[in-house]
Amino acid sequence: MKKSIGLVSLTGIALALTACSSNDSAGGSANNDTNADNTENDSGEDVTLTVWAMGEEGEALHSFGERFEEENPNIELDVQAIPWDNAHDNLLTAVASGEGPDVVQLGTTWVAEFSEAGAFLDLSDYTDDFDMIGNEDFFEGALDTTEVEDEILGVPWYVDTRVLFYRSDILAEHGFDSAPSNWEELKEIAHVLNDRGDGMYGFDIDQNDQLVPSIFAWQNGWEYDIDAGAENFADDSFREAMEYYHSFFDEELVQESEGVPIEQGFEEGTKPMFMSGPWMVNIINETTEGIDGDWGVTVLPGQEKNASAIGGSHLSVFAHTDHVEESLEFLSFMSEPDTQTAWFEETNALPARQSSWDNDVLAEDEKLAVFGDQLEEAVAPPVIPEWENVAQELLSSLERVNRGNAEVEEEMGNFQQNAERRLN
Amino acid sequence: MNHRNAWTPWLFIGPAILLLLVFAVLPIFVSLVISFTDIDLVGLGNWDAIEFIGLENFINLFQDPLFRQSLYNSLVYVVIGVPLVIVCSLSIALLLNYATSKLFTIFRVVYYVPSVTNIVAIAVVWGFLYNQDVGLFNFVLDFFGVDPVPWLEHPFIAKLSLILLAVWKGLGINMLIYLAALQSIPNSYYEAANIDGANKLQKLRYITIPSLSYATFFVTVTTLIGWLQFFEEPFVMTGGGPLDGTMSMALFIYQEGFQYNEFGYAAAASLVLFVLIIVVTMIQFTFNKSEKN
Repeated sequence: MKKSIGLVSLTGIALALTACSSNDSAGGSANNDTNADNTENDSGEDVTLTVWAMGEEGEALHSFGERFEEENPNIELDVQAIPWDNAHDNLLTAVASGEGPDVVQLGTTWVAEFSEAGAFLDLSDYTDDFDMIGNEDFFEGALDTTEVEDEILGVPWYVDTRVLFYRSDILAEHGFDSAPSNWEELKEIAHVLNDRGDGMYGFDIDQNDQLVPSIFAWQNGWEYDIDAGAENFADDSFREAMEYYHSFFDEELVQESEGVPIEQGFEEGTKPMFMSGPWMVNIINETTEGIDGDWGVTVLPGQEKNASAIGGSHLSVFAHTDHVEESLEFLSFMSEPDTQTAWFEETNALPARQSSWDNDVLAEDEKLAVFGDQLEEAVAPPVIPEWENVAQELLSSLERVNRGNAEVEEEMGNFQQNAERRLN
Repeated sequence: MNHRNAWTPWLFIGPAILLLLVFAVLPIFVSLVISFTDIDLVGLGNWDAIEFIGLENFINLFQDPLFRQSLYNSLVYVVIGVPLVIVCSLSIALLLNYATSKLFTIFRVVYYVPSVTNIVAIAVVWGFLYNQDVGLFNFVLDFFGVDPVPWLEHPFIAKLSLILLAVWKGLGINMLIYLAALQSIPNSYYEAANIDGANKLQKLRYITIPSLSYATFFVTVTTLIGWLQFFEEPFVMTGGGPLDGTMSMALFIYQEGFQYNEFGYAAAASLVLFVLIIVVTMIQFTFNKSEKN
């Protein structure tokens, strides 16, 4: 309460600005000159490459990076692990000051916002020497988020996607031998399971998850056209999907309040179906008891298509780096199919390269195979800098519908206006 | 005083002034300037892209329903929170001052502990306590036949829940200020009152509370500023929800500035907050002065 956040935030901005002035010559427009110099300097000298990796990846990359150093004796890796909570702020500071790492791990949703500020090297000039840039072996959804306008701003590293988790035993008890495969079946099963009694739910929706409304919309055949702006949200397929989203709350099939953590609800059987990502497999395995073999994952049930969202991280080269060649070597190494499989074994992060999935480690695991299938139908959120703001506006609007009793049609009209404002 | 000694005081206060200038005064001026611009992430990387847009940020701000909501919420926080903190911390200080046995010393620590506990840890524990379905509070209420209370799920009740949490957390430091003030009241006042045959209530009303007026003034000013900048509790507990019911001005500034990268807009909002705090504090100082006269 006492912490003077007003001043703290001001200081943050001011520091960023003052830092900028000390390094003016390296700012923005000077990019091209420094790049030209760099390539000449890359002549086998010993080089230390600074890599920013976030969260658990940062920890794991410390030891994993040694494999790269063995192959490239003249390059030493300096991996800096940055907690996800600080990642955005640190990147902001790096952009403002021009003082950053050589290679940076970048969440797929941040590409547009930082590329607008000229934070990353356009890799499309280097496709001749490095075949991993824009390689079509990567999942299409992952490649989509590396490209902004005509630039390629990163190489996919790992991916994730949402699938449907369900309790096969509970579904079977109520006469459903297989998981739902479309909207209608999902609704039907949810209703039956919801009628089991008080405190029982048919489905679960994380109301803070920005991706869920979009996933429903994509499943309904909606496609976001960047040039159309806020008009996209007037589309019938979008409005219908929001009606569908709201219907789960309207028909009380999902819990509106916070409730117990989802893995606990899943274990108790009160929430027998929900959407989540690959990390949840481990969480369920480690924190629940007595439901081994009684649950499964499957591709999200859709309407027009069984779409899901693709997320994950790319590796990008910072615009102000002095070591372009070495950075690209590192990106190339990390995106090799074998490295990707090895990285999966180390961290459980799903490979972005489709050929890595042919490896036995991945191909023979039933649950993983589902993620592989889902990734092929996974859509990337629009690569525009304002997307996060717009998605947040959408969540607020849906909250007003679900909790504040606003009308869907009217509220979506308001949302469209807000989105219009955000997009301009 | 010779010439060399004239510099001595400056050497003593110099470091503090320098830090204050660099980390407090300068940022305020920078934010004043950028609040009239449209600076965002692009502008941060490339200064040529920044444009002066005059008062547009401020006009948009007062048309923004979310900002008006946060203004209203902050007023609710202040109106309920400030008196509550003063009354509670004063009562606890009075009770703890009653005797000096070991037990009382232990309770001083007990009441102070929340002030030094990490807010994230508190948020986790209170998040469970407040849980509508499995929380301890509703479990106890259920025992007495009371319906579950939507502690963090209803826009207005969530405000009250956060106030309760913040009061609990903020009690310690204010209690300490009152305790120190209580112990500096000369005993002779009470002895004189005893001779006059004053009862306990009269002593409290005519000696203790007036003697504490300076401490009360200090606590009021700092608490009020604290509540206007209310941030951590909604940030870690609710993220401003439900239905923006707990969105405070400071949280609004944070979200616009650091989640949406609208630095100019956020700076404008923080300037509004800054002016609000200055005005409210000035009013308090004026009142305090006229009371003294």
